[in-house]
Amino acid sequence: MSNEDNLSPHAQGLSLQLSSHFFGDLLDSIIVDVASECHRIARLGLDRNLEEEEEEMRLSAQARLRVADPSNSSEANGKYIVDIFGQNHPSVASEIFECMNCGRSVMAGKFAPHLEKCMGKGRKARLKVTRSSTAAQNRNSRGSPASAYSPYSNSTSSNRLSNGTSSVAGEEYSNGAFEDP
Amino acid sequence: MYDDIYRRGSINRPPTPDAEDDQIQEKQLTFQEIIDIKLIESGEKERLKELLRERLIECGWRDEMKALCRAFAQKKGRDNVTLDDLVQLLTPKGRASVPDSVKAELLQRIRSFLASAAI
Repeated sequence: MSNEDNLSPHAQGLSLQLSSHFFGDLLDSIIVDVASECHRIARLGLDRNLEEEEEEMRLSAQARLRVADPSNSSEANGKYIVDIFGQNHPSVASEIFECMNCGRSVMAGKFAPHLEKCMGKGRKARLKVTRSSTAAQNRNSRGSPASAYSPYSNSTSSNRLSNGTSSVAGEEYSNGAFEDP
Repeated sequence: MYDDIYRRGSINRPPTPDAEDDQIQEKQLTFQEIIDIKLIESGEKERLKELLRERLIECGWRDEMKALCRAFAQKKGRDNVTLDDLVQLLTPKGRASVPDSVKAELLQRIRSFLASAAI
């Protein structure tokens, strides 16, 4: 800057003009860089994830506001709890699906007690098993439910048996006395 | 061992014939071109570009430009976007939205260089 004190007004004017020119040069070069990068991102579809992320951030910011709002108390509202997305959850999960052991339709919230009986841990189930003719069932039913399960499952999904072969799952329910007390 | 050969080779090689040799006059470099060469050779041009790039990122200018491009690509269709489209899109808006402080800082640096190099 002190260098310029020695320059004539003409030279100073020239300096202003030139520096503007070079600044524009640099800026144009950077603009091309950014354009080129954005072009690549657009053509490769790399900003698809970015849009989803931005939407997620927006939603979570909204949700956070809702949680911070004192009028949305959680436990005080009885059996309905509001989560950060503003959704209500019933206290017993109500989704229904097929038990992979016996093939029955069960409610998610009642699945654990069902499995206990279904896989031979419960009292009634164990009693039924001992009546069965296969010795292996007796051995396995006393162990963990996991060990009782593996020898008898012949498919990864439902174990509904069409023929009369003995199995832990099939035999128990022929009497139908399985429902929750 | 090969240094001698290399050195001799570079000294004795005849100058590359100019395309303009058939013309009567040699091309005179403008003052601007001379300064440009000095900027590049000294490395100052690269440093200035890096400084400008850094400042433009800090102030959010780059993010703004990227957002403009994204919006354009969404409207026109991802695969229809050309580089030229984006350059034409960004040039007016980019030039207009550089913060004054950033521009002033860069201009100052450039003028310092000019003052020191133009003598």
